[in-house]
Amino acid sequence: MLMLVTGGSGSGKSEFAENIAVSCGSDNLIYIATMFPYDEEAFKKVERHKIMRKDKNFSTMECFTNLKKISLPKGTTVLLDCMSNLVANEMYQRDGAKELTFECVLDGVKSIKNEADNFIIVTNEIFSDGIEYDVETEKYLSNLGRINEAIGNIADKIVEVVYTIPIYQKGEKP
Amino acid sequence: MIFVIGGEYQGKLNYVLNLTKLKREDMVDGVCGSEKELEEKQIIYNFHLLIKRLLKKDENIEFVEGKIKDIIQKNPEVIIISNEIGYGVVPIDKFDRKYRELAGRISCELAKEAKEVHRVICGIGSIIKG
Repeated sequence: MLMLVTGGSGSGKSEFAENIAVSCGSDNLIYIATMFPYDEEAFKKVERHKIMRKDKNFSTMECFTNLKKISLPKGTTVLLDCMSNLVANEMYQRDGAKELTFECVLDGVKSIKNEADNFIIVTNEIFSDGIEYDVETEKYLSNLGRINEAIGNIADKIVEVVYTIPIYQKGEKP
Repeated sequence: MIFVIGGEYQGKLNYVLNLTKLKREDMVDGVCGSEKELEEKQIIYNFHLLIKRLLKKDENIEFVEGKIKDIIQKNPEVIIISNEIGYGVVPIDKFDRKYRELAGRISCELAKEAKEVHRVICGIGSIIKG
């Protein structure tokens, strides 16, 4: 099962995705953390998420770039949080995929989808503030938007979380 | 408490007034309303700007959350209208980031407590909870 979870900032999408991952009932829960703790604020965000999932029995793997390098044992449920950080890392970090961000991220997603029983991806709705950004930021928005669309195409379920309330945009609500 | 959300300029206030047959006089604006009005009026409008106003007064998150909790405790049947924010690129300004994050977190709490949550787009509301 591939599920894409989206929503605005502070909408409760991560917590929702964690609960979905736990409810899959797998013995092997893997959390792929993509946020690079580049400053104090990012570090605090990472800590907040660690506290939120501490009793949920995830084993955490950090992956800032090149999702494809991850290889998984059989029978896993994987939660990736979140796509917006992974895309930024691929575009801007030294060992990132740069111009090949779209292709590289999608290859990684497909490879995990093939190996895991359940794969839940958290992404971000950052496309509606009506501001025209500089070329670099627009390129980032375009990459993330296209990646969301491509994952949406192969996902079994797409859930938009609105202030903790899940709205199923694709697939049936369980 | 009923929570009504949606983007800016989507007709949220008109939607609520039509639905409830309440009048503009029954509404307090979060931008400028007094504590007394917030605790007594049937509709709180621009709730997101009330969060911003409180956060500007005191950047302590607990202070803002406490004030909001007080208002709802004293006005448990209130209809709260708030803009859905947080659907854009992370703001450069630190206060803006803090406000956006806090508005999201408080709205999550309100959505959990609310007996109904309505989401308005182009004047049309859908009930997403209740």
